[in-house]
Amino acid sequence: MSDSHFKGKEVVEHLYDARLKGKAATSEVHGAELPGHFFSCFDAIKETAILMLILHLLAFQTYLFLIFILLLMVYKFGRSSLLGWIRLQRLHRLIEEERWEIEHHRQQERKELEALYQAKGFSGRMLQEVVDVLMADDNRLLQVMLEEELGLTLEAFEHPLKQGFGALIGVLIAGIVLYACLFIPFGVWIGALLLVGVTAGLSAKKERNPIASSVIWNISLTLLIGLLTIFLKAML
Amino acid sequence: MTPYQFDEFFASGLSESVSPFLTPSSRKWSKNLPLKSSFLAAFFLALAFAFSFFHPILSNLFLTLVFFLAGIPAILSAVEDFKNFEINIDLLMTLSAFISLFIGSGLEGALLLVLFEISGSLEESVGAKAKSAVTHLRVLSPTFAFVVDPSGNYFEKAVREIEIGSKILVKAGEIVPLDGTILEGSSSVNLVHLTGEALPKLKMQGDHVPAGARNLEASFILEVTRKSADSTLSRMIQLITQGAEAKPKVQRFLDRFGKKYSSLVIFLTFLFMFILPFPFLGMEGSIYRALAFMIAASPCALIIGAPTAYLSAISSCARKGILLKGGVVLDALSQCKRFCFDKTGTLTTGKLRLLELIPIKTSFSPLIALGIAESLERHVTHPMAEAVEREARRQGAPKMEVHSFSQKAGYGLQGTVDVEEKKLSVFLGSNDFIKERIPAELFRPGEPYSLLLIGEHLFYLRFSDELRNEGKETIAKLYQMGLKPMIMTGDNLSNAQKTAEEIGISEYLAELKPEDKLNLIAKFSEEGGLAMIGDGINDAPALARATVGISLGKIASATAQDASDIILLNDDISLIPWLTLKAKKTTAIVKQNLFLALSIILLVTTPALLGLIPLWLAVLLHEGGTILVGLNSLRLLKRG
Repeated sequence: MSDSHFKGKEVVEHLYDARLKGKAATSEVHGAELPGHFFSCFDAIKETAILMLILHLLAFQTYLFLIFILLLMVYKFGRSSLLGWIRLQRLHRLIEEERWEIEHHRQQERKELEALYQAKGFSGRMLQEVVDVLMADDNRLLQVMLEEELGLTLEAFEHPLKQGFGALIGVLIAGIVLYACLFIPFGVWIGALLLVGVTAGLSAKKERNPIASSVIWNISLTLLIGLLTIFLKAML
Repeated sequence: MTPYQFDEFFASGLSESVSPFLTPSSRKWSKNLPLKSSFLAAFFLALAFAFSFFHPILSNLFLTLVFFLAGIPAILSAVEDFKNFEINIDLLMTLSAFISLFIGSGLEGALLLVLFEISGSLEESVGAKAKSAVTHLRVLSPTFAFVVDPSGNYFEKAVREIEIGSKILVKAGEIVPLDGTILEGSSSVNLVHLTGEALPKLKMQGDHVPAGARNLEASFILEVTRKSADSTLSRMIQLITQGAEAKPKVQRFLDRFGKKYSSLVIFLTFLFMFILPFPFLGMEGSIYRALAFMIAASPCALIIGAPTAYLSAISSCARKGILLKGGVVLDALSQCKRFCFDKTGTLTTGKLRLLELIPIKTSFSPLIALGIAESLERHVTHPMAEAVEREARRQGAPKMEVHSFSQKAGYGLQGTVDVEEKKLSVFLGSNDFIKERIPAELFRPGEPYSLLLIGEHLFYLRFSDELRNEGKETIAKLYQMGLKPMIMTGDNLSNAQKTAEEIGISEYLAELKPEDKLNLIAKFSEEGGLAMIGDGINDAPALARATVGISLGKIASATAQDASDIILLNDDISLIPWLTLKAKKTTAIVKQNLFLALSIILLVTTPALLGLIPLWLAVLLHEGGTILVGLNSLRLLKRG
């Protein structure tokens, strides 16, 4: 009975795998971006700042910056939206699979619930009662399995287009700031470092990560890329 | 905490507009997305057209955006059609639009795409059907029941895990979760959605109660006789699914015509490509001419001819309070010859009416008796109680005070009243409730009456379902139009016959179970188009199976509304003849539009390509034809 559903694994191992599957489903395709329109915006600012710094150091002509910003806006909007849609499709596939499991493998789902709630300290009659109540309503059961087994969170993601707009706004902010900085001595350096530092700090604050280390790492990375560009250009 | 409801999401086919993973505030970004995108494409097209006169490069830039926004969805849909070996008008339009780029007519191609996308997305947003009938039935069907264990305690358990022979507790006001036999207690249950019977039924120990019935009065314990998968509600779900699957796939006239037309044009394009080089043109010239022919054979008038007509008709119907689930419904309705009406709730209002209060061997005033009945019924909520109260109000029956009121659930009511300076005991209820208190010769077993006993004075109360005022006129109009109305009901034969006579229908079928209705609808559908008009869950399989299902917006169950194609929002069945005429007119206008579009191809565009008429005249006639087609469709907006 369990072979087809648990694929020869113990219930606990199956639950661990399911959690990993859920976690993988919520991350972006390239695994670097944080989800949501807010973070798309920050990410786009950092990326644009670094790209423009490279282009500036490669002595890109000023008018080409405008074209570059426009094109990057379109690209980032499209790509960020597409990534959001891919994630949404994957989540929808997962929820459909879970519903199918609930409809066709009820006994195994019951075992999974028992294992989950045993791990939370339930046992004996109390455990059976909890499982009975959870199994009584399919909607409730699906919600529990998505949250407890797959580790997913409902109503947590922004619409892909909203996320795309976040990226578009990000490119626009970075583009305007850095274009203005083109006319100040060392302006692009200052602007790029400032943008990267501020957005890294804000992201860290939102995620409750250490702010200082995040800002320092991001500014250092930008400096590294900028200096490497200068030296490589000089060498070649 | 209430669990998250996933049913709507699954019923919508995993639509992102109801995705459980998106925050509720951001779901609105998905609303009418194709329509918004096509309007944006139209805006860019206008810019491309404006700049084409003085800045061709900027014009091309906007044109690129138009092709991206309107062209990609068209390509995706065309690829899907092509994968299914389906050559239709959509595929022809997409091909023509993209080919136009290669012969320097990008703006014309973009216009085709934009019109194509706008009309398609408008139709899609009008016909969007997010919920399915089965979902609402699943919502009605309880997912858990209170199982009574041997020690008398009860606990929640999923209905699908409850075995035959288990005991379950059904509380007052709840839906019966599984089919079973009453072990303890009694109550009246409402079966109106299951059988169409408006009168509540008394269920006592040993009686069978089907899943889906609503328990009106008191709790009882049921012994389960069928598992969840075999219950009455599950069988209803199966029947609806069967009905929907067996429904004849009605194709729009345009789709039928489009398949042949598109195949012909594509065939001729290839033919011209290979034939034209030999007599007079080179290979390059012949390809150019063949592609030009394909574009000429896909005029804007052909694109907008059908959608504008359907949308105008849908809009006109909406103003009358009729909701149509897509333009294709109009084509289907125009083919219907037979109109099957459900009785309870459709031809009748579904509300009980106290028809008469019959005195039996008494000189007691019926008006005072009505006042006494009302004084008892005032204490309970029940369809019969409401009918008595309404009639007492209508007749101006005197208000009486009842003392020592008590109710025997499922049987009747009792109390005492002061009448003519006497204190009299009063009883109102079923035959079983009264029979021990009256002489045997006055007892009429089997009669569908309620009895009122005031001291020694006995009255019979006869109830009936109220007929809709507009019913008779509607049926007469349908007969005048040469159509065949008939009644199909789950109610008994005498009630069906009575309603048929009162409303003027000669054909009626009674005592039909949902599966009987479904089979009859299937049989009649094969003999020609059939429209089914109903309101109950018991009608849902037939509504799903009929060529066109019509339900009533106020009285009908959500299941019936979802299974139907048309909803009469104000329950006004007198709109059915008007709607049928509108459907016929819409089909006629679509045909006229197609005729106009084809005339443009034959008489204007093709001669222009061959150089037989000047280009300026061809453009004028071409655009004029498009406007004419649009104006012709707008005639359907008229209310009459």
